[in-house]
Formats: sequence, C-alpha cells, structure tokens
Amino acid sequence: MITSFCSLIFLGLFMPAAALAYAVMPRRARPLLLLLASFACFWLISGKLLVLLVVCTLVTYGAGLGLGVVRTRTRAAVASGALTRRKAKARSRTQMRLVVAAAVLVNLGILVAVKYLGFLSEITQGLLGLVGIESTLVPPAIGMPIGISFYTLQAISYLIDIYRGTISPERNLLKLALFMSFFPQLMEGPICRYADMAPQLSAGAPVTATHVTSGALRIAWGTAKILIVADRVNLFVKPVFEHPEQWGGTVIAMGAVLYTLQLYCDFSGTMDIVLGCGRIFGIQLPENFRQPFFSRTASEFWQRWHITLGAWLRDYVFYPVSLSRPVKRFARVAREHLGTRTGSVLSGGVALFAVWLANGLWHGAGWQYIAFGMYYFVIILASGLLEPVFARLRNTLHIKPSSRPWIVLCVLRTWCIVFVGELIFRANGLRAGIRMLSTLVTDFSPAALVNGSLLAPGMDLADFAVVGIFVVLLFAVSLRRERAEAKAPEDASATTEPQGSSARAATNASNGPAHNTPQTTCATGTPTSAAAPGYAVAFTSPASPAEPLASHALTLRIAGVLALVLCIVVFGAYGSGYIPLDPIYAKF
Amino acid sequence: MKRTTMRMLAVSALALVVLIGALALLSRLMVPKNNQTSFGQIDATAMGVLGEPKNTLDVLFMGDSEVYTSIDPLSMWREYGFTSYDVSTSAQPLPYTRSLLTRALERQAPRLVVLETNMLFRKVTMEDALWRQVAEVFPVLEYHNRWKSLKSIDISAEPKATWTDPNKGFCPRDSVVPSSVQNHMKPTDKAAEIPRLNQFYLDRIIALCQERDIPVLLLSTPSTINWNAKRHNAVENYLKAHTEFTNVAYLDLNLEEGLDIDWALDTCDGGDHLNQQGANKVTTFVGTWLTEHYSLPDHREGANYHS
Repeated sequence: MITSFCSLIFLGLFMPAAALAYAVMPRRARPLLLLLASFACFWLISGKLLVLLVVCTLVTYGAGLGLGVVRTRTRAAVASGALTRRKAKARSRTQMRLVVAAAVLVNLGILVAVKYLGFLSEITQGLLGLVGIESTLVPPAIGMPIGISFYTLQAISYLIDIYRGTISPERNLLKLALFMSFFPQLMEGPICRYADMAPQLSAGAPVTATHVTSGALRIAWGTAKILIVADRVNLFVKPVFEHPEQWGGTVIAMGAVLYTLQLYCDFSGTMDIVLGCGRIFGIQLPENFRQPFFSRTASEFWQRWHITLGAWLRDYVFYPVSLSRPVKRFARVAREHLGTRTGSVLSGGVALFAVWLANGLWHGAGWQYIAFGMYYFVIILASGLLEPVFARLRNTLHIKPSSRPWIVLCVLRTWCIVFVGELIFRANGLRAGIRMLSTLVTDFSPAALVNGSLLAPGMDLADFAVVGIFVVLLFAVSLRRERAEAKAPEDASATTEPQGSSARAATNASNGPAHNTPQTTCATGTPTSAAAPGYAVAFTSPASPAEPLASHALTLRIAGVLALVLCIVVFGAYGSGYIPLDPIYAKF
Repeated sequence: MKRTTMRMLAVSALALVVLIGALALLSRLMVPKNNQTSFGQIDATAMGVLGEPKNTLDVLFMGDSEVYTSIDPLSMWREYGFTSYDVSTSAQPLPYTRSLLTRALERQAPRLVVLETNMLFRKVTMEDALWRQVAEVFPVLEYHNRWKSLKSIDISAEPKATWTDPNKGFCPRDSVVPSSVQNHMKPTDKAAEIPRLNQFYLDRIIALCQERDIPVLLLSTPSTINWNAKRHNAVENYLKAHTEFTNVAYLDLNLEEGLDIDWALDTCDGGDHLNQQGANKVTTFVGTWLTEHYSLPDHREGANYHS
C-alpha cells in the first residue's frame, strides 16, 4: 500500500499517526509502539514477506545469544583454571566463528534466494549452454521483501560486532527486532550499527517542538529534492536510457548528468525524509551523504555518498580480507619484490577488489552492476598506483595541490568519473551501456547543446528552468554546509584531508597504517564519539541541509516547511503527465 | 508545561490555517477558467457535461474508454428521444468516477446513471484514492502544472463551465483489427474479484444515486479482451451481496445474442474496443433496451434540445 515515503499515505497519514501515538504513549511503551509501527509499515509494503524479516531477526537473535554463551563459558573455564587462557581463547574463537558463519549464511542465503537466484541461474544456464546442455529451469520468484539488502547487512554487522567484542548480545528480542526493522530506515537505509542505535531506540525520547519542526523541515526538504528534481528530470532520463539508440551523443551526455542528479536527489532526498522522521522520534540516524559533489577524487566521493554502505564494506569486507592470512602473505611477498609502496597498494588492491565486487553486486543482480563496481575498482587502484607519477608531474608543472583552480579541476574530473559510472549503472544492461558510451564519445557536438536537441526527450525550457533554480539552491545549501564542516576544527582532518581518514583512502596512501589497527578505526562508537572519523562528522554536526533555519526560532522553521510544501505542490512533477519514479535505492 | 503545549497547539493551528488558505488561493489561481482544453482543462471531453444547460440530461454514461468508443448519445437522441452524455475518460478509476458524478449531479438531475463495468476491475491504490480526495478540495493538486501557462485571465476571471462537446463525449474509432479470441464468454463457475477499494467506491456511488432516487445500470460493453465470464460472475456476486441496493440493474452486452457483434469487423483493436460500426450496434441495442426498461422522456419535439 505504501510504495514510497514520498507519498500522501506515508507523509500524510502513516507518519503523523505514528508520531501522535508515540507522543501520547508512556515513555516505556514507546519502543514497543515503534516496533508495531515498523511491522505495520513493512506489512503495508511487502505483505506476507514480513515472515522473512522475522526469520532473519530470530536467527540473528539466537546466534547473538549463542555467541554470548560461548564467551561466558570461556571466561568461566579460564577463571576455574580448567583451560589456559590461550587455549580457551583459541577454542572460543573457533566456536564463535562457526556460530557467526552459520547465522551469516542463513541471512545471506535468504538474500541470495530472493535477489540473485534469477541472475545465478542465468549464469549457470549460460555455462551449461557453452558445453551444450540446454536448461530451462527457472527458479521460483518469491518477490523481494522491502529493505532486505539493508537489514541483512545490519544483522551481519550486529553479529560480527559481538564476535569482535565491540558490543554484547541483546537479550531482549523486541529490542533487536526494532533495530532490524525501524520503519524510517526500512526502505533505503541508512545501514546502522547496533551500538549507535540500541540506546536511542529504547530511550523513548519525548516528542519536542524542536524535534518536530526540524524533523518536518528536513522531511520537506527531502520531498522537494525528490518531487521537484528527481521526478521532473525523469522526463528526460527515462526516454534516453530506455531507447538510447534514438539519441545523439550530446543528449546521452546530458542524460548521464541528469541521471546522476536524479539519483542524488532521489537517494539523498529519501535520506532527508528518513533522518527527519527519525528526529521526530528523537532518534539520530547516521548521515548517508556529505556533499559528495565537492569530492576531489573518486575514492573521496565514495566516502561521501552512501556513507553507511561504504563504512560497512570497509569494516566487514575490507579489513577482514586485508587481514586474512593469504592476503597478508601476498602483501609481504609483494612488498619484498615491488617495493614498499607499490607492494602495499597492490595487496590492498585485493581487499579493494572484494569491496567493489560486493558493492556492485549489492546494487543488484546484473552484469552492469558488476561492471560499475569494477569501474571504480580500476580507477581507485590506478590512482593509488600512479600517485607518485602524478605527484612528480605536479611538481614539475609547479601546481600547488591546495590552489583553488587545481581543486576545481579535480572536482570536475571526479564529476566526469561519476557521470560515466552512473551511465553504466543505469543503462539497460552492460551492452547498452557500452554502446551509449561509444555514442557519447563519437557523436558529441557542442552545437546540440543550444540548437534545441536537448528539448526533444521530454523536458521543456520551463522544466530545465525549475530544475536549474532548485539545483542552484541545493548548491548554496551544500556549499554552506561544506564551509561549516571545514571550519569545525575536530572535523577538519576528516573533511579536508581525504587521504588516511578512512580505509578506502588508506589504500591510496603509501603505508596504510590503518591496516594494522582495524579494531580501533572501525569502532562504531557512540554518536558523539569522534573516534571513527567517517562517522564523526555525520554524527556530531546537526546536519540538516536546511540547517541555517534550524537554529532559529520555531516559527521560522514552520514558515520554512510551509514555503517548501507550497513549492512542492506547484513545482513538483506529479499527477497527470508525469510517471512517478519508484524509489531507486529501495529496489537494491 | 501546559503553557508551552498550548503555545505549540496555537502555532500548529495557525500554520494549518495558513497552509489551507495558501492552497485555496493557489487552487483558485491554477484551476482552468473554463472547461475547455485551451483553458487547460483536463479531460475536457468528459468535463463538457458541466457545460450542458441545467437539468437537460436524462442519462449519464460513466466509465473508461469502453464507453466513449461504443455509445453515441447523439444518435440515441435522434432515434429514441432521450438525452445523454458520455462522462468517460481513458482508464477512469472509480474514485474519479465518483468525483465526476458528484460534479455532474450539481447541475443535472438524470433519470438514470449507467456505469460501465470494465473500470470495476481497474486496480486503484489507496494513494490514488487519497490523492483524488485531496484534489477535490484543492484542485491545485490536479492543475499545478499550469504554472507553465498562466495568463492574466487566471487571476482576474471566475472559473466557469460554458463549453460542451458537440458529440456529447462520444469518440468513435474507424480502424478495423479483428479479434482472434476464441470461446469469448465461455461459461464458468469461477468468479473474478472486484478489488475491495473499488467495491467501497462502487457502494458510495450507488448510494449517492439511491439518495437522489436515480436508478443505476451496470453495463458491460462488448469486449473480448476486457470481458469474460469470470468478471460477469463477479458483478453478479456483487449484486447478490448488496440486496440493500434496490435501484441497481445489470446488463451484459457480451451475452446478448440480439446484439450480433461481428468480431472480425466491429472492433478497432483486436477486441479491446469497438469501432464506429460496433458502436452503432451497441447504441441501437442500448437505446431500445433503455426505453423498454426505464421511463425516459422524448425530447425530439422540444426546440431547446437541438444541439
């Protein structure tokens, strides 16, 4: 029944009803109410597939308790002197690994069954076809429950965090269930950590005027991004990507740019709605975006776009892989033979490969997603390998890396990389993507920018004008936030210095010191802790894009909400003549 | 504590009032100033019903494209004397039918309302229904796109409806594409299901007519693609379950032998819609049937009806 957060049903009925019920509930009953609302929301979107979420929650809960039992037993054995400390540790590690592996397998198994079975059978059929066997086996389509790609990752992080000793297992099943299903983040994340969420979700914080108005302001801002930009741009993006053969290179280039804009507005807009809803319940969810279009490198871009997925892959794919024995051995050998720098970049590359394969696959079952992952893998690895060359080049040309024109040039280069990546990502299959890229290169003519060709796919001048004005507003808000973050002294290292602040950048850095101490860097910490650099900025800054208003009086915020609502009503791309855009990330 | 709560309530109430006022103003600005396409009217052909002189229509035909391709109000008037209008829009969802009917009944007091049954099976989401309800109150939701084409008249003029469609909503099709469907209307015990939200709206529409003593006829126009025995049974089941509606009758043209539709010649798109020739047959058959079953006046003598 709910197809998008950006709907009258959700924003006009469900959310107000949930907030009202939450507000009048006694504090202790509030978490339970949130759980009921979350299950209701899930039911309204995915119906009976709710069972899969419940199974996933039960398995994760049981495994968490199991890990707890192993840990207490080990402790007891050591205390009673039955085992030496070292032996006990080794045994408990083996047992815990078994439990984690089993539970992760179940969770991933469900994910694979609903999301990748079609793709896998396509591949097997292709392979069988190569050796001459015709197979027509079609796996049954179960349908994908909403948010499975998000809550599965949360479940895995919960278990691994227990294994690592960062958190202790949750004894209250309902609390874990709420962590897995909290409805604002149900559809498109952000992907949260248990340590951050558990205390907030069970607090039952009161509904205050400040929370409601700043939450509503952020919701309105997100809705505006989606309805005014993402949905309007669809008039152009949809025809171009559905029938790429009809369009010239210039239109395709514009299509790639507008699709990137659409994806950004749709996803970050949904995140604004999600975080705004969370705030109304007094819950601070982690930021998923940090002005990505100010990034100077591709790897920095990915620390600022879908931050929580990047952080998850860093903590649960990158570190485990780079610390695994074969990779460590490879690293040693590579360093001996190729020199310290190249050797460690290459060995980091193994883990980087795993991260980008996982990133591509996470987005969907299809070769274009794998190609998308590999595209970034190659770019980021190459930039790591070639960095000394670039540095020498800069020196010879006397370019100061901190000079403004140079920074602007780097940012523009990042944009181009991103536009091409998103074109591959959106194309109807890998082959179509490659064809579009070749058209873009061979058939680009600047004249087509002004001769009216750009009006052919479906956006008229007025549409371009509205989108343009809103993008300028968006840019102004982002620039303000970017400056504010750069000024904040404790954040400076994380925001202005991309290298070394988190794992991805560490692969580019010569000696990735982070490799040796993952536990300290990946500690999720409390929302106010500045220990995890990637998160710290997100958590500590209040982080509404409409922040300038948020610190002012209540009435000003309400006026902001009203103004945004009226703008959305008039300039939103909805109703007859528009095809609503399904929330893009909800299908991943 | 209490004082801040009161203040919060007061501020929220004020905000709500401002919002409603602004939406009303915007609606007044954006709504077309006449019911014509050139004024920005959506579905002008059907909305032409609002421009008909007061209380001059005897029958309203409501539904989706099945109606405007198969029922010709002008020939019906010529042959049988009663006046009618096709208040039909392509892919009409039932919440919209209800809005259209409510608006038409503000000016007209028909003796019969005919609902084409294909639309009973068109899936309507809660979101669509809610949207329609809000758009009824604030038309800016429906006409917001007119910001691109606003003129000074939109500020100065009162909205009015003076235009009417010369064909009274009828949009005949000329092409001939035969239908290849075999066993059309093969009997079965199984029944399709009218979606629950549609049942809710159908209930409301019939009740609205019952309040005004207007009989309702559910009509299934001939279509090999849209109609089948399961759907027929679903309509029958609906009527059996709602004996409280004493004003409803059902006519399934797919089962009427006398109609004699030739599926090789009378359809314009392989059995989805009828063409002009099929429409002629339906118009004659329905005209006869309606004059036999309802007491409909003959206006052919009245000078006021020659339009």
